[in-house]
Amino acid sequence: MMDYLYDGTFEGILNCVYHHYYTDRAGRICLKEEYQPSLLNDFMEVETDSAKATLVYDAIEEKISTYALQTVYRAYLSNDPEKEMKILRYLVLGFRDNYAAAHHRTDQAVFEMETMVKKVRCEKERMLQFVRFEVLASNILYAEIEPDNDVLELIGDHFSDRFKNDPFIIRDVKRDKAMFAYEGHWYISEGLPSDFDLTRSDDEIAYQHLWQTYFDHIAIKERINPGCQRNFMPARYWKHLTEMKRKAPGYDAAIFTVGV
Amino acid sequence: MEEVLMKKLQILADSAKYDVSCSSSGADRNNNGRMGSAHAAGICHSWGADGRCISLLKVLFTNKCEYNCEYCVNRRTNDCPRASFEPDELARLTVEFYKRNYIEGLFLSSAVEVSPDYTAERILRCLQLLRFRYGFAGYIHAKIIPGVSPEILHQIGLVADRLSVNIEMPTSQSLAAFAPQKKPKQIFAPMKQITNTLIETRALKGPGTMFKGDRLNSPDNIIGPMGLEDVTSMGNDTRALVDPRKRARKGSFAAAGQTTQMIVGAGNETDFSILTTSENLYRTFKMKRVYYSAYIPVVDSPILPDKSTAPPLAREHRIYQADWLLRFYGFRVEELLGGKNQNLDPDVDPKVMWALRNLDKFPVEVNRASYEELMRIPGIGHISARRIIRQRSFRAVKFEDLKKMGVAVKRARYFVLCCGRYYGQRKFEPETIRNSMLQMENGQQLSMFDNNWRRLEEGERQEKLALAGVI
Ligand code: SF4
Repeated sequence: MMDYLYDGTFEGILNCVYHHYYTDRAGRICLKEEYQPSLLNDFMEVETDSAKATLVYDAIEEKISTYALQTVYRAYLSNDPEKEMKILRYLVLGFRDNYAAAHHRTDQAVFEMETMVKKVRCEKERMLQFVRFEVLASNILYAEIEPDNDVLELIGDHFSDRFKNDPFIIRDVKRDKAMFAYEGHWYISEGLPSDFDLTRSDDEIAYQHLWQTYFDHIAIKERINPGCQRNFMPARYWKHLTEMKRKAPGYDAAIFTVGV
Repeated sequence: MEEVLMKKLQILADSAKYDVSCSSSGADRNNNGRMGSAHAAGICHSWGADGRCISLLKVLFTNKCEYNCEYCVNRRTNDCPRASFEPDELARLTVEFYKRNYIEGLFLSSAVEVSPDYTAERILRCLQLLRFRYGFAGYIHAKIIPGVSPEILHQIGLVADRLSVNIEMPTSQSLAAFAPQKKPKQIFAPMKQITNTLIETRALKGPGTMFKGDRLNSPDNIIGPMGLEDVTSMGNDTRALVDPRKRARKGSFAAAGQTTQMIVGAGNETDFSILTTSENLYRTFKMKRVYYSAYIPVVDSPILPDKSTAPPLAREHRIYQADWLLRFYGFRVEELLGGKNQNLDPDVDPKVMWALRNLDKFPVEVNRASYEELMRIPGIGHISARRIIRQRSFRAVKFEDLKKMGVAVKRARYFVLCCGRYYGQRKFEPETIRNSMLQMENGQQLSMFDNNWRRLEEGERQEKLALAGVI
């Protein structure tokens, strides 16, 4: 048994899978920075080798299925602390039983994988709902998000299709990275340039008020149901929701006033 | 601009909110170099304080109404603030909201200002600006005012994704009593025109899986003057507006189809008569959806429920469930209701109600039942039915497997056999089963948050959500 330490990349996980088969069985797979040595297992720092990663990548697609490959990638974006081992167990099963394995929800490894991936997929859908853009003076659409899972790259196509002619930026505040998109193309890079001008357009605040007004007025008072509302719009997302941030815990109006 | 617009928005959102439909599913409009795309599944962007999904900017174009429908806040004789949008004003507002990802599109309804055609022309102007000046490709649902001329209706259809004409009341008697200015003929004529144009543009899709496998767009299905049975006499004066030889581009006319809406609990109709009307609408006009709206007393009227009456939300919910059975599960109204059973059972969902009345068809062996039979088992939906069929081709489905497959076991257990074994109550009789189900669910069943609900597929969930407004 060996504890594998990797660099947090997708290729890194694939390398660990490789070593599980060709070096020693994996006891744990952990991030290098976060590793706590244990007495039980030896540990090894896995070097991220792209040739080995490709090998595993192709093997998943050929021996199991494209669906399994997608599933594994989505799982990689998860914030589940156990994700690496869940991926490994899922792949071990897949390589052993081939295609069919990935579709048996009754198998524990498949079930826990599906459950984890479902959360990622679900949060991606939530982002399609909850990203709120502001129009900057430069006419760029700008949004900030803080998803639990690293779903930024999963929403690029959707918004690129939505805004064919408007440049937009979606920034993941927690991971300090941002998506830059224009005319159907997008890429992700680290944060914003420090001199980036975040001044809002002149009528931005007016439209935010109009939206808040609409939001308040569309509710039917005979049916008020905060539990239901919260269930679909969990409070942890409120901070970045134009209509809810007024009600978010710790909301400080000053932060959100127009930039100068 | 802000203040005037703010005031208008308040008034016109207030007066539009008692409408139920906010579904934006059904149109998969791709982006052709313009702004916007209507996501196939429909996206809820927010949830109001009442827990209802907000997907579209839902407003009235105007609430300055000439008519005097008994149940309506905007009726002429009601004293309330009035406003009308300018076509350009509303078009801009929609685009600006859309850009910020607040909404998927516009759901535009309206009172009758001056005349149906006067109002409809202004609405048309607004929608054309939106599409052509602002290049908006998001979703548009336009309500058609009864009595509008066929030409304007056709033009609106060319810029909207979905059209609806409200039927409002389930019978012509109740329509005459509650909305005297609206004539059945004025309601059915546009419905028929929309269906026929959809057939001519080969875009008719029909409700749920009700007409699966039928060639809906065959010219034989065009509703002729004699096709409507009891409604024909009311609406046979529409001519085909699309010359079949110059057929419009496929899908360019109201591609997301036609819907309508009925009020529940204003008159004293039974569930049977409401659902029968729905079934007729589905069969005659092949419309996508009938929406139901629990009547919320907003005005004083001698012929309506008192203002303190609670809206019949639970009833509305049951009717939606039954409607779902019609569209997706192959049920007919006469199987569910009729004779002495004029109303749905408030305590259990309509499928359970049906199963309890037809216990001779149960329990069903899940390892042998056909897809259609599986679909009729309470607690099993189309996803879990498919999973069962897939899995049993590898190995037999055991009782423990059902839960993982998304079956609502607490309901299904009374009605299934797994490998010959029964897991329900010792006594296999309606009352025993009903009681133990009720005990277990302890009234919880009305809640949309039971297990089954959580396991609904996203699209379905959104749809239920959009229409329920109940927990
Ligand atoms: S036509 Fe009737 S239902 Fe419509 S706004 Fe006027 S009064 Fe209300």
